[in-house]
Amino acid sequence: MPEPVIASVGASPIGRTDLPGRDLFSIALAEAFDGLPDPAELVEAVYVGNQSESYEHQIMHGTLLAEWAGLRHVPAERVEGCAAAGALALRHAVKDVRNGDHEAVLACGVEKMTSAGTSGATDALSAAFDRAIEQRSGVTAPSQYALLAQRYLHETDATERDLAEIAVKNHANAARNPRAQFPKEIDVDTVLESNPVASPLKLYDCAPVGDGAAAVLVTSAELAEDLGRPQVRVAGSGASANNIAVAERDMTDIAGARIAAETAYEEAGIDADAVDIAEVHDAFTVCEALLAEAAGFAPSEMGYQSYLDPAKRADGWTDVRLSPSGGLKARGHPIGATGLLQALEAYEQLTGAAGDRAVEGADTALLLNEGGVADAVTVGHVLTTAEGAR
Amino acid sequence: MTDLDASDPRTLPGFFDALAEGELLGGVCADCGQVLLPPRPACYACGSRAVDVEPQSPGGTIFSYTEVHAAPPAFAADAPYTVAVVELADGGRLLGRVDADYADVAIGDPVELTVQEPTAEQREAALDYEADWPVHRFELR
Ligand SMILES: [Zn+2]
Repeated sequence: MPEPVIASVGASPIGRTDLPGRDLFSIALAEAFDGLPDPAELVEAVYVGNQSESYEHQIMHGTLLAEWAGLRHVPAERVEGCAAAGALALRHAVKDVRNGDHEAVLACGVEKMTSAGTSGATDALSAAFDRAIEQRSGVTAPSQYALLAQRYLHETDATERDLAEIAVKNHANAARNPRAQFPKEIDVDTVLESNPVASPLKLYDCAPVGDGAAAVLVTSAELAEDLGRPQVRVAGSGASANNIAVAERDMTDIAGARIAAETAYEEAGIDADAVDIAEVHDAFTVCEALLAEAAGFAPSEMGYQSYLDPAKRADGWTDVRLSPSGGLKARGHPIGATGLLQALEAYEQLTGAAGDRAVEGADTALLLNEGGVADAVTVGHVLTTAEGAR
Repeated sequence: MTDLDASDPRTLPGFFDALAEGELLGGVCADCGQVLLPPRPACYACGSRAVDVEPQSPGGTIFSYTEVHAAPPAFAADAPYTVAVVELADGGRLLGRVDADYADVAIGDPVELTVQEPTAEQREAALDYEADWPVHRFELR
């Protein structure tokens, strides 16, 4: 079977922009194809991660973005899974290459979240909740995650200050990431004193609303070699749905994410402790704690120590570095693009292109991208340049 | 299941018709006992499609809770308000509004499900087929 690799990446600026989604995509695509033949000479299929048609009153993103890339008469489709749409697009591209269906597939993602203000984004995101019970009870994305956070704080020794420290750590990482929406350091009091959004979560516990696009070129290893591109192998991919309603899940064992990660590890032939860096779905600070446990990096109830230096964490923690990009919290979270921005960070880290945020010696990364509330759907990928890993 | 119609409580119209009469119906898996709220054709815990429909006790306890500050448009006039996940006495878990201030709620507090007509704002935000569906809430006991 051909071995799928990431051969190139690109992204638009992230945050509040004056450009519609298709134009953000054009920027991301131009970066990804800088120094490569035109997309029409390489790309055989397109998958687009996109959360909601309500931001731009536009569906048909497969057709639209293929056209804007100069591609015609290729299979092209939008992939939907709320905030996991980007990683789902990547997963489809990887499978197509691995199956030998295509030699080069474009996985991209785009979201124009700022088009209708905060209330527009709140409304668009609420469509990811169960309509019958959850939406009709007036919940919001922050309040859904606050239910997880409240329960996590109840069951563990974690405090609101610990969650705040996760935000502080991710802002510190973003301060060294030129792509970040908020490349600035903050202190823990800034988080703790920020406005309550959905108690116990405060404004600085929450990833921002923003626009953005990302493009990831997945090819066979052979084609990437021919193109002379640094390549990162996609050694494992896993995905798992869980109940749509938060109430019906285990709210502190994020089982869908655990299964997605374990499936990706198994496919890659590695254990959690082989992972050097992880881009996890920290849409809210508590997610990083929960996902550190689900990914097998931290013992149960200890995930909140993700902000500590590896040497200071509890026994049983691996030495993984979480969210070196700054995570969703500070790098930014343009929903449909997020899973591909995670892949972009891992590609740059593993190919020596991460500048002064490079994690020394890193050769293996886990990506965990979630959609809906927490693990309503989770997609996990293992990316590696290590010899030996599959 | 081929005879499923809108009077069947395993459909949403059937579930909400019963709720409007004050009866909370749950699916109960005949194979593993999992309670499913609302009822549905298959059990998420074990995959069985042998799901019975049984009345559920309205009593329960707070499992987790929060306060919504920035509310969706249809609920903006009520903000801030309390929302909780409630563990019902018969084992199911259900999310809903709580008629109490956030500061007065704690995990483990006993609550009881009540059923209300949709408000004018909720009717405004409803899809055609949802317009008469009641809305459940929880009261502290
Ligand atoms: Zn069952």
